[in-house]
Amino acid sequence: MSKTDTAASGIPKEIERFNIIFRIQHVLMFTTFLILSFTGWGLKYAHDPEGLSSIWIRVWGGPDTAGLIHRIAGVTMLLDFIWHVIYLIYLFATKQMTINTKTTVIPLPKDIFDVIKNFMYFFGLSKEKAKFGKYSYAQKFDYWAVFWGMFIIGSSGYALAFPMQVSYLIPEFTTGWIWELLGLMHSDEALLAIVFILFWHFYNEHLKPEVFPMSWIWITGKISTENLKHHHPLEYELLFPEEAKKEKKG
Amino acid sequence: MSQKTKAVAVAPLLFLLTLFLLLPSAALSQESETCLSCHSAMKGTIKTQSGSMVDLNVDADKFKASVHAALPCTECHLKFSGVAHASTGAAVPSDILSLSSKISAKFTSDPVAGAACTKCHEEVYQRVLSSVHGKNIIEKKQGDGALCLDCHGSPHYITKIKDGKSPVSRKYQVETCGKCHGSQEIIEKYKLEENVMDSFKESFHGRKLHLGHTRAPVCASCHNAHDIKSKSDPASPVFGKNKLETCGKCHKGANEKFVPAITHKRPGPIPHYGEKLLIILTMGTFAFIISHVLLEAFADIRDAVFRKKEGK
Repeated sequence: MSKTDTAASGIPKEIERFNIIFRIQHVLMFTTFLILSFTGWGLKYAHDPEGLSSIWIRVWGGPDTAGLIHRIAGVTMLLDFIWHVIYLIYLFATKQMTINTKTTVIPLPKDIFDVIKNFMYFFGLSKEKAKFGKYSYAQKFDYWAVFWGMFIIGSSGYALAFPMQVSYLIPEFTTGWIWELLGLMHSDEALLAIVFILFWHFYNEHLKPEVFPMSWIWITGKISTENLKHHHPLEYELLFPEEAKKEKKG
Repeated sequence: MSQKTKAVAVAPLLFLLTLFLLLPSAALSQESETCLSCHSAMKGTIKTQSGSMVDLNVDADKFKASVHAALPCTECHLKFSGVAHASTGAAVPSDILSLSSKISAKFTSDPVAGAACTKCHEEVYQRVLSSVHGKNIIEKKQGDGALCLDCHGSPHYITKIKDGKSPVSRKYQVETCGKCHGSQEIIEKYKLEENVMDSFKESFHGRKLHLGHTRAPVCASCHNAHDIKSKSDPASPVFGKNKLETCGKCHKGANEKFVPAITHKRPGPIPHYGEKLLIILTMGTFAFIISHVLLEAFADIRDAVFRKKEGK
């Protein structure tokens, strides 16, 4: 099962995993995410460690400017997210994207079993790791975390950045506690998002020995067929059923 | 000739230089110089007739840097306007004497000194007297505060607010108000809102102020300064609908649904338990991702070391 075999049988060397639009959306997402994290951190931990945040915020042009940068980045991120959702709707409407259990990013019961299977493998209770389709549970988790973040941090952030406009929308009975809650939501979940990215995303897409220093798919959008077979065997079987069958027999 | 032109050029410069050198010392009155010759060197406190403890030392350099540097001592120390230290009480104008008689005996400074500010600052002083702080001294006869010196510090060292060193400047004002409003003893005694200092510190206003935001508010931005009123007084800028105008100073179009955003009260049950819920969620997620990442890393190491794979 060498590369020459597969090349000879007419399988492309690599396939496109993310098109240019998805890649741009990802770049916009992570640049704004980093800017928001850096500027927001200074405000969240304004008092401790004493004096350090003042210096950190000065790096971002002082609190007035840092606040403006944070708002611009926040709005950009929200627009990026809206663009993504609209683009998905467009892809579905034009049938360029359809739901298939082996390629969908939607969480399925299989993902839970995959987690259990992998944990068993980690503990040495199973000989095999879980086999994934186009998206592993780790990648699905990564993807939907953004939706959760947009729902909690994005909405509260929008309300905090434009309180006057939002105040007309909120119902009367919530005014006693909603602002406090919005502040807590924004700050607590932002910390969750930062730690999540730092541990989950950075480990899975950067630090893991097999991808270090990073998975290049975010730039090229391409995944080698070899890699696909190894990391996404179910998708490979779906895309190249003939080859997969041959390989299994062989 | 060149010598002459030099002299012509240098002479006015010399004159200006002498003037500059003379100016600061000229700012002190002759009388202050006399008093300071002893009091700048003295140390310790002394009990006055009214029973207050007075610091004998006046730091000459700090006094010279203050806004009051040009005033002679007896401008405020009215009791000493005759012969210094000899006869006291004689020369005090009647209006100040009557004002000083209203000042609580528990007040920390000498009552005449406490009243003397009104000589120059009468309009402001009247506003203080109508405030909760003034009434506490004049009507309730309490000693805790506050009159001029309680917030502005010693009159000898008062600097302009914009100077940045003033206890009522943007930098120090919150701390200054906190001397009383963050004191458990005072809060219990006067049944004050108990979470004022912490709630401000944790608020967006407080954080931004701490980081040096140029438009973040300090206490007086919302509560007013000299004519400060209790929050239950309809004249207070933070009473009921007055908040619309007060918040509107910075937040254009502040409406009734917006103004409850800022309060010194502790968070209600919904934000409190809401946050608890978010913390549980956060901790649960951390537990999952961190254990997964660590276990996976260990498993990878284990595989690399102990389970050398056959090909693939």
